[in-house]
Amino acid sequence: MGFLLVHALTGLAGASSLFLVASGLTVIFGVTRIVNFAHGSLTMLGAYVGWTVLTRLPRDPAWFALGVAGTAAALAALGALLEMGLLRRLYRSPELFQLLATFGVVLIVQDAALATWGPDDLTISRPPWLRAYVRIADERFPVYDLVLIAIGPAVLACLWLLFNRTRWGRLVRAATWDREMVGALGVDQRVLFTSVFALGAGLAGLAGALGLPAGSANLGIDLSVITEAFVVVVIGGLGSITGAYLASLLIGLLQAFGVVLIPKATLVLVFVVMAAVLVLRPNGLLGRGGAPTALAGTATPVRPPTRGMLLGWGLLLLAALAAPLVAGPYALSILTEAAVAVLFAASLHFVMGPGGMASFGHAAWFGIGAYAAGLSAQGLGVPMPGALLLAPLAAGVAAVLFGAFVVRLSGVYLAMLTLAFAQIVWAAAFQWVSVTGGDNGILGIWPPAWASGPAVVYLLALTLCAGGAAVLQRVLYSPFGYALRASRDSPLRAEAIGLDTRRIRLAAFAVAGAAAGLAGGVFTFVKGSVFPGFVSIPHSMDALVMVLLGGVQTMAGPVVGALAYTGLYDGLLRATAYWRLVLGAAIVLLVLAFPEGIAGAVQRRLRRA
Amino acid sequence: MLAVEGLNSFYGQAHILHGVGFAVGSGEVAVLLGRNGAGKSTTMKSLIGLVRPASGSVRFGNREVARMEPFRRAQLGLGYVPEERRIFAELTVMENLDVGRQPARDGLRPWTPERLFTLFPNLGAMRRRPGGRMSGGEQQMLTIARTLMGNPRFLLLDEPSEGLSPLIVEQMAAAIHALRQEGLSILLAEQNLHFAAEVATQAVILESGRVAWTGSMAALRADAGTHGRYLAV
Amino acid sequence: MTVLAVEGLRKSFGGVLAVDGVSFAVEPGEMLALIGPNGAGKTTCFNMVGGQLRPDAGSVRLAGRDIGGVSPRRICRLGVGRTFQVTATFASMTARENVQVAAVAHRRGTWRPWRSAADLERPAAEALLDQVGLAAQAERAAGVLAYGDLKRLELAMALAAEPRLLLMDEPTAGMAAGERVALMRLVRGIATGRGLAVLFTEHDMDVVFGVSDRIAVLARGALIASGAPEAIRADPQVRAIYLGDGRTGGERPASGGRDC
Repeated sequence: MGFLLVHALTGLAGASSLFLVASGLTVIFGVTRIVNFAHGSLTMLGAYVGWTVLTRLPRDPAWFALGVAGTAAALAALGALLEMGLLRRLYRSPELFQLLATFGVVLIVQDAALATWGPDDLTISRPPWLRAYVRIADERFPVYDLVLIAIGPAVLACLWLLFNRTRWGRLVRAATWDREMVGALGVDQRVLFTSVFALGAGLAGLAGALGLPAGSANLGIDLSVITEAFVVVVIGGLGSITGAYLASLLIGLLQAFGVVLIPKATLVLVFVVMAAVLVLRPNGLLGRGGAPTALAGTATPVRPPTRGMLLGWGLLLLAALAAPLVAGPYALSILTEAAVAVLFAASLHFVMGPGGMASFGHAAWFGIGAYAAGLSAQGLGVPMPGALLLAPLAAGVAAVLFGAFVVRLSGVYLAMLTLAFAQIVWAAAFQWVSVTGGDNGILGIWPPAWASGPAVVYLLALTLCAGGAAVLQRVLYSPFGYALRASRDSPLRAEAIGLDTRRIRLAAFAVAGAAAGLAGGVFTFVKGSVFPGFVSIPHSMDALVMVLLGGVQTMAGPVVGALAYTGLYDGLLRATAYWRLVLGAAIVLLVLAFPEGIAGAVQRRLRRA
Repeated sequence: MLAVEGLNSFYGQAHILHGVGFAVGSGEVAVLLGRNGAGKSTTMKSLIGLVRPASGSVRFGNREVARMEPFRRAQLGLGYVPEERRIFAELTVMENLDVGRQPARDGLRPWTPERLFTLFPNLGAMRRRPGGRMSGGEQQMLTIARTLMGNPRFLLLDEPSEGLSPLIVEQMAAAIHALRQEGLSILLAEQNLHFAAEVATQAVILESGRVAWTGSMAALRADAGTHGRYLAV
Repeated sequence: MTVLAVEGLRKSFGGVLAVDGVSFAVEPGEMLALIGPNGAGKTTCFNMVGGQLRPDAGSVRLAGRDIGGVSPRRICRLGVGRTFQVTATFASMTARENVQVAAVAHRRGTWRPWRSAADLERPAAEALLDQVGLAAQAERAAGVLAYGDLKRLELAMALAAEPRLLLMDEPTAGMAAGERVALMRLVRGIATGRGLAVLFTEHDMDVVFGVSDRIAVLARGALIASGAPEAIRADPQVRAIYLGDGRTGGERPASGGRDC
């Protein structure tokens, strides 16, 4: 009994921490409609700033509380600056571009934190009062966790009062419902938005600082926190604070007991619960309908390729085929990676552009393909062609199974479900050491003798990846491709002319998954190894950046985006140790300069001319 | 009080308003008439700024407001009541009113919820009811009351009689008379000519985004030809 | 043979009866207008016939077959085309491609990922666009078409499935007066020519009395009258509840100031 109680209490303490982050995220989303990817980074900065402040203050409880409050205030100020400097310029952009910009901030904050605080985990020394225990049912339970348990409901109560008993709160709730009307009634939305963002950032800072006694300030907080916060916010219902608290309780308890029951599969458990909630209630526990669904902006007409464009593609392909004649081994290795990137980006574009399903976890299929190829080649001794066949097959099958959940949703919910699923695959790759080798990966998966040497590897990758991308293009101009776009443009009309939109979307999801799986399989043989990083959030974001950089609504977009991004990435990697910072800044600037992507901007310029 | 000149507005790529111009004097009640799609709503939205006019001038008092954000126009005393009512469904009647609250204005008696409840007695009986659980007529009263909380000098009323029962329409007409007594100037967009005739002093007829006719309501009543050409089918 | 026969249709939302025992029928080549004040239950009736809503009681028979509660997709396959109050077309495609997609779906040709779609059903699509008067707009994207043209495009898409029954929910809402009558005359011609049954709701009395063969009047969820246009125009109850006598300002028969 005591054992159960203590675990339940541990779960409640965890729930409080989750809630602090998730409430900020959900409040920001409710009003600004921005999915703030940088919310985890704000939490991470909260931890670092908290460390800096708390290690300089006397170590008694009053000073600790003051330091934590100061940290929250500092982060609130930073949040306000972030909103005024960046997000304010993006409220009229498509939501995916807003998300991309906040991901750019994630990268910038990563390197800024690294430069400021160094790579080591930073802990605060814990005075006796922080180490104190109470005895609960014959088990020792930390007093600090009891404090955390109380903080969750206390913050919930404060937020409730703030939103229901103050004019500011009423304005915010009104703006959540209809922000344009609030403006027409004489309320300056800019001030409202900035203050909401500051509140959310302050809560993130609070969470970061309060996490210090039991943890540390480290560079991994941002992505781990944002994933959990997304899960909580989606389960609770976007924009609902009470929903976020209920979901935090659910996830907190699930994690506390999951660690005991099935220690390796806690994330899987969380995911199953999330999927179950979303299947039963597509808008989350307390979310209401009418949440924004269109993520990729309005659809623009797509024209079949003209003869001139086909000629252009042909020339590009010829140049690519001739590259080994002039390029050295290093350049060839970059070109090989670019070829893989093209297929990876094209497959995401397939579901996201014509399919209208913005996947935040596309690396899942890449990784499943990579591991399928790596494991079959190394574990089962399957020869390379077989392994390269298994890669898209495994990814495609997985995409069908998972896609059955995904195609029921749309917009932000869909995006977050895909992100969560990718995290499961990542966790499996990372934790299932006996099969995947964990963090060490699987090494020594090289092509057979006939296919060794950079030129042959390059040509092989080019053939498979350019071929795969061409197949995807071809499908888009087939009746199926038109039906897919029809399902995106107007599901109502699509069903009324007899199209089974769910099945069409599922098929598209599977095709894209298989194509990404092929890219992953090829990459495995290019690198000779597979790592969990193939499935990581940053890798999913790579694909997203490439597609958005190129332009979602142009067919040439993913190719342009993949080439530009691979070039940029490689150049940065060689030029500076702080490549994340530069890349992040580049992403932010590109989003500000080209809200419709590079290819989109060029296309518009061409049409005008 | 309000002078519009050469207003051009687009909705997406569609050119809706073509050089619309008219003026409404202080203390007057003017009505914008015209068929569906003639540009009445777009004119109203352009005046408050929810649609950004591509060109043209909107003078309110002695200020040029055509490029201003909607909230600035509202703060200057332009009150906008949207056609779709746009009640904050999760907020109660009192909370909805509070969102509309703005400081009092010189020369006008400030509006309070209590004063509004004498104008719209139905609302007073449901102060804590969420806006989403009110009937269409009650919502229409609430949306007007909410805008009045901003103490406007000039009221833009987009289709206030739309979808209301005859009894409520009568109440609405009485309310507009009362507002005029308070010293407000009003521009309404209407399709219901009878309602318009009851409350308005002046008429502006729009046809395909252009002003086709302006004049007094009495002149319009007398002019059967204009009637037939622009308003009947 | 009767194309559509609706009997004793009933639907309530949260305890409020929206449609209460409504019955009507539409014959081939016939246009039946469903009219009544806002909130009378027209759209609810419509959505039960179109498959968007499941009736609580009563039957919807299409050529003798019960289709109550069948999904919109199946209902389309059974020969029901529809247009929507707010037009629903595919904005990223040209007008021609919109119709092609509908025609290909009708011929079960969608699941061919390898064939180029460019020429599939092209002549059929062009003929339909010509029929609705959109031939000149065929190569323009649906996203930039004028509203009246989108209504015509919807009609062409609905016709692409060679339906026996066409459902049109407020087909002329948001159109200019001249366009309204032209569109519905076009439908009238097609209905007569193809033997197509048409059920439509409409607020514009010129359209209703101009093109329909019969009119059914709903008020508070119940059918209060049905019959030929002249009989409906003369019906005192209908005049009192809906058409009015031209003097009351409050209850407006139409969304467009035509009651004067």
